[in-house]
Amino acid sequence: MSSLLLALPSKGRLHEQMNKFFESSGLTLSRSGGDRTYSGFIKGIKKIEILYLSASEISGELLKGNIHMGITGIDLIEESRTSASKEVVLLSKLGFGKANVVVAVPNSWIDVENIKDLSEVASEFRSYNNRRIRVATKFKNITRNFFSHNGISNYRLVDSAGATEGSPAAGTSEIIVDITETGQTIEANNLKILNDGVMLESQSCIFSTTSNIWDDVDLEPVEKFLRIISARSEAMNKVELFFDYIDDKNGLEINLYRKFKAIFSKGSPDLGEATSLIVPISEITSCSLYLTSLGYGPIRTNQPNFIYNKESDSWNILRQSINRV
Amino acid sequence: MINETNKIIDSLGGTTALAKLLDVNLSAVSNYRKKGFPARLHYKIASLCNERSISIDEKIFGGISGNILPIDSRPIEILSDVSINIMENLVSDEFELIDPPTLVSADKVLDRLGENIADRLYIFSDPGGTRLCLRPDLTIPTCIHYLNSGFTGEKKNYAYHGKVFQFQNPASNEPNEFSQAGLESIGGDSSLDSEVEIFYRTYDSLKKAGIKTLNISMGDVSLFSLLIDVLDIPLIWKDQLKTKFWNDKNFKLLLDELSVKKKFDNKLFYKISDLDQEMAEVFVRDTIGLSENQSPVGRSVREITERLMKKSQEINIKPLSKNTSDLIRNFLSISDSPKEAIKKLKTILKNVDSKLDAKIEIINERVDKILDLKIDLKDSIFSLEKGRTVEYYTGFLFDYNCPIKTKSINIAGGGRYDDLMKSVSSNLDIPAFGAALNLERIENVIAKEKLL
Repeated sequence: MSSLLLALPSKGRLHEQMNKFFESSGLTLSRSGGDRTYSGFIKGIKKIEILYLSASEISGELLKGNIHMGITGIDLIEESRTSASKEVVLLSKLGFGKANVVVAVPNSWIDVENIKDLSEVASEFRSYNNRRIRVATKFKNITRNFFSHNGISNYRLVDSAGATEGSPAAGTSEIIVDITETGQTIEANNLKILNDGVMLESQSCIFSTTSNIWDDVDLEPVEKFLRIISARSEAMNKVELFFDYIDDKNGLEINLYRKFKAIFSKGSPDLGEATSLIVPISEITSCSLYLTSLGYGPIRTNQPNFIYNKESDSWNILRQSINRV
Repeated sequence: MINETNKIIDSLGGTTALAKLLDVNLSAVSNYRKKGFPARLHYKIASLCNERSISIDEKIFGGISGNILPIDSRPIEILSDVSINIMENLVSDEFELIDPPTLVSADKVLDRLGENIADRLYIFSDPGGTRLCLRPDLTIPTCIHYLNSGFTGEKKNYAYHGKVFQFQNPASNEPNEFSQAGLESIGGDSSLDSEVEIFYRTYDSLKKAGIKTLNISMGDVSLFSLLIDVLDIPLIWKDQLKTKFWNDKNFKLLLDELSVKKKFDNKLFYKISDLDQEMAEVFVRDTIGLSENQSPVGRSVREITERLMKKSQEINIKPLSKNTSDLIRNFLSISDSPKEAIKKLKTILKNVDSKLDAKIEIINERVDKILDLKIDLKDSIFSLEKGRTVEYYTGFLFDYNCPIKTKSINIAGGGRYDDLMKSVSSNLDIPAFGAALNLERIENVIAKEKLL
């Protein structure tokens, strides 16, 4: 049985956010032979070997099938994926590194609000300018796929190493495709994101390759690791509401789910017992107010650190994708 | 040079022996002794000498095709018999053998082929910083050869062969580099005869190389744009239909969309509807917040204004009639043997416009000319859909396919691309028509046909 290779981001913000995530999951990362080496292990979990690589290297190695698992962004996986790539599956979203890949045009293009407008402008562009419309981006693959899906063919991609937002003003492109968390930099450069211009919603995730390097890997430590990771990410954006279930309201369970995606932790609650409800963090206020309006209360809230489901989705996805059920 | 030619004829066994080897009569060989070898025999002669380890002075080829037959850079010993046979049939006094560049400007190739093919190209920067591309076909390099030779519209007929480079999905088992041979006719008038000639020469060389069964499929994309031109629909929709023609899914969506009353969210489309061009430009400037001498980023005020005005007209246009959209759908669904397809075309386009009748007559004449050359078209298909998936051809186009068991293998194809020279040279309007053959596939097919 051989060890599993898990690649983690080696530097920058992603590295810090990833460290925080592991810390909050109760997992301690150790570097073999000092802080400056690029390999390590997780304390208490054997047979998982950690490699520190840049996020884009991680997506490349996953798609080549050279490492078993890695943490990187959806954007980087989609961008590096080619017809020659191995299949890579998403095991769990980790809730950090959230950003969107968007298409933006100059503010002065008052006739362009959506992709369809852009498609028409791209077709006409050549008759005015005797060349194709230029799109500056470092996301060439994502742009090609999105444009071809939307029937835009009259364009040219222009390489952009950094400061993509500046290229329309600098005259090196007409429009851009870029990644943004808040859209502020794009706005500050007098560009606007099209109404339907979000091409990809990205965040950091744990991915695995499905190549045959899994063939002689001991899966026991992997299961343990994935159960911890998914229990932590499951809990991250959730809140637990406690209240006494004093009144059996008809249809309460269904209504709570429909309105707030809220689920009772214990199937259907028993009358007269204290019960707990798992609610997405964004719905905490509206859900609590809804319950009080029905006469329940007091409502106590608590942020869980982990939610261990009986079945771990990420573990199941991995087992199925490498045919080790 | 003549001395050298004679030396070779003698080394190859003399007049009679060479006449036998080349399958020509004695007088032809004695003619070579006086005038040198004709260009179409250069390959054959070179390979005969090579087989017999007879060294040749490349000057003997120099007098006829100039310095463009680079024996050194093209090791003929790796050309197979089939390839040599094909080249012999393609190269002639009318079709001059050329050696177009292997490295071409990546920008020119991308501008021509579009970004959708970009992930199949080998693109890199040279130390000078120029973005280059290993040629993905020989058509663009041939056009560059034409321009580099200083021509600006004169008719030139070329033949070529060489390696081309296209990245393929490893699972497809297709090679990333393969050999292409082909013909191009650039410049002059875009005559029917040169189309038929290249079509025939391709067919003939495949047959002579030993291909037994050829399925031919044909089309003509210029008929669609003419149909849209003559139909009574607003100009703005004509442009949209022509643009979306190349993508069937989006084309169908557009047709459905034009058949119902459209809604527009952008309020400016309504606001601008009563203004004339000049006032509209002022309105656009004010809306953007531009002063007199400022211009918007990336597009001109005129561009933006004209599009707004077109959209504002679109608000009041009645949806496309069912008759019109049905006509377009029926038109595109025609796919039949050439003569049948033409009959069907005549039926559904009856009394629509005399320009269409004239165009169909040309298509008919082309088919007749092909039939006159004793090419059997019984099992061939003429389809109005043909050419839609590759936004490349501008008129007549064709493919030669070979059925091997249940698969159909495309071994050659070509067509008219009158806008190609424009995208390579940016200002010259020069017609072009050509065909390319995939040499490895042809050899495969011949080998497989023998086993069947």
